[in-house]
Amino acid sequence: MEILIYGAVTSAIYAMLAVGFTLIFGVARILNLAHGSFYALGAYLAYVLTTLAGLPLWLAALLSIAIVAIFGVLVEKILIRPLRSSQLGVLMISLATALVVEQALFLIFGSEYRNVPAFIETKYNLFGVDVAGQRLLTLAVATVSIGGLYAFIQFTRLGSAILAISQDPLAAKYMGIPSDRIFSLVMAISAGLAALAGVMAGPFLSVQPSMHLLPIVKAFAIVVVGGLGSIPGSIAAAFMLGYAETIVAYMVSSSWTEIVSVLATLLMLVFRPAGLFGKRAAF
Amino acid sequence: MPISFKRQTLQSLLASLLLGSGLLGTTALMAQDKPVRIGVPTSVQLQVGRDTLTAVKMAVDEINKKGGVLGRKFEFVSADETENPETGISAIKKLTADEKVDLLIGGYTSGVTLAQLPHISAAKTIYLGVGAASPSITNKVKQDYNNYKYIFRVGPVNAAHQARGLVDFISKFVIGELGFKNIAIVGENAKWVQDLVPILSKGAKDVGADIRMTELFDTQTSDFSPLLAKVKSSGAQYMIVVLSHASSDVFAKQWHDAQVPVPYGGIDVKSMDGDFFNRIGGKSISQIAANFAVRAPITKKTVPFFDEFKKNSSNFPVYSAFFAYDAVFIYADAVKRAGSFDTDKVIKELEKTKHEGVAGEITFDEQHDVQAGPGKVNFMFVQWQEKGERAVIYPKELRTGKFIMPPWMKK
Repeated sequence: MEILIYGAVTSAIYAMLAVGFTLIFGVARILNLAHGSFYALGAYLAYVLTTLAGLPLWLAALLSIAIVAIFGVLVEKILIRPLRSSQLGVLMISLATALVVEQALFLIFGSEYRNVPAFIETKYNLFGVDVAGQRLLTLAVATVSIGGLYAFIQFTRLGSAILAISQDPLAAKYMGIPSDRIFSLVMAISAGLAALAGVMAGPFLSVQPSMHLLPIVKAFAIVVVGGLGSIPGSIAAAFMLGYAETIVAYMVSSSWTEIVSVLATLLMLVFRPAGLFGKRAAF
Repeated sequence: MPISFKRQTLQSLLASLLLGSGLLGTTALMAQDKPVRIGVPTSVQLQVGRDTLTAVKMAVDEINKKGGVLGRKFEFVSADETENPETGISAIKKLTADEKVDLLIGGYTSGVTLAQLPHISAAKTIYLGVGAASPSITNKVKQDYNNYKYIFRVGPVNAAHQARGLVDFISKFVIGELGFKNIAIVGENAKWVQDLVPILSKGAKDVGADIRMTELFDTQTSDFSPLLAKVKSSGAQYMIVVLSHASSDVFAKQWHDAQVPVPYGGIDVKSMDGDFFNRIGGKSISQIAANFAVRAPITKKTVPFFDEFKKNSSNFPVYSAFFAYDAVFIYADAVKRAGSFDTDKVIKELEKTKHEGVAGEITFDEQHDVQAGPGKVNFMFVQWQEKGERAVIYPKELRTGKFIMPPWMKK
């Protein structure tokens, strides 16, 4: 039972991170290594706005998500777009962005851990398992936001445009879909989702300058396992990985959890490079 | 990982820029009355490091006010050694080769200090450690005296002594006073913990504890809920932790949020920080952390230093501040006794040190390691209580408050 609940929370955070990561890759072919920085910035902004500026938490959360989404759009417009023809160029510039963000956080806040306040402080007892309210809320928020994103892509005009570009960019262009604007939109969604994950997970995971590393490693692993560019694939893989880590922590030892995702990536690349749901090998 | 590597190069670049600018002012001074230069390699990004610097500055100012030692004033320069051995080595090289310091006072991460040792001995510079706890550091002095005689540890007491301190705490307080025999041991997977845990669990068993589980977790772990659930279901009544580089903050928060019905305490280096309680929104309530730096009359110097430090800094001092402050005076006294700054003569005098410092009476054993025990440097167990107050719980003779249980366990 404990495995079931804790695994679900871990998986939900991973899913929020991985969906944004895979979305921007699927649509714009951008392998965004700065994705974890959006997560970090979300958490830090929530910290700054609540602790230092004294705003109420819900407002701070919305503001930080909006700011990070705008930041994501700017990064895509100014830094990534000129280099988009080269996969390697995109990789380098997004890595550089990640490092700059990390160093900036390091200079401003120092390397100590920061505290982001939680939405809910109470503890709940679900089927005999003690769970912090914030974790349950995170699970709910993740479900709603990913569900909302899915509905958005499936049932709106803009969503169809996104789908069209991811299926065939050239044909979509001929149909008159403004691909640059769609890229900006997707980048905003992707960055916003990562920031949301940061705001939600900040209260119970760590908030410090190198916190962007963990999500990028996990998102990468999930996306490789699920198939690059496939949203259902990354949700499924997020749950597989989240549960695998929780099970390992329970059955074996907490010191083994971090190897699970790396191992999964490795095995998947060797045996099925396209991933579970991928149509073609991404590399 | 390429990312963390890059970060370190950036940092060392920054450090070298800072150091480079400090160098210009001093080269023109005459050799005879030029000040004694103390190099301080430490993690300046962390409170351990910042407090080391503040304490060294306080000691230096005090000595200079009295006219210095043998006619020479003291001054100090710092270098960021971070928690990474590579950067630690370049910090030592900068301080010894570029800054030409006369002695080194600093350290925090044992792995970094161990990597620095060969470079310190190659530079033939006295090193007074004030932060790292691995016994391997001063074991070098025993193994190869001629090369490593420059290395002393003023504090903290080494991991083996710490384990014994922890065992005393378990037997006399956790079992003796609280009556909790079922113990869980949880620690981070780091060098000094691997050194410490075997001694700890054996010692605890010998004093009658029932060790329900022992688990080391990866220092990168950010989700402790599986671990905490295991502790709960193990039937442990008290959880002993051994943490330093891992996310103590996150650990305490998750323990509090899940209202784990097991009180905990032990060695938690981050929880020695004066701002730990506020930093995590008061969630460390009832946690007990071993500490050296508490406002208690350990010696007659302790309380005045503690209050003076608070005036010089925005926070209460952590352990490195106590030892760094003492280290400067230990060196100054050794120089006075030797009547010279000659390194070998000073080392001979340092070995005879018997210094009543702010952390206790400091003496060195034959491998230049600070001695622990009653009347010397000792662990105190301090509990976080309401409003972030800290109360000494153990040893009994220094007790300043009553033990409290976590709020959700009050009957």
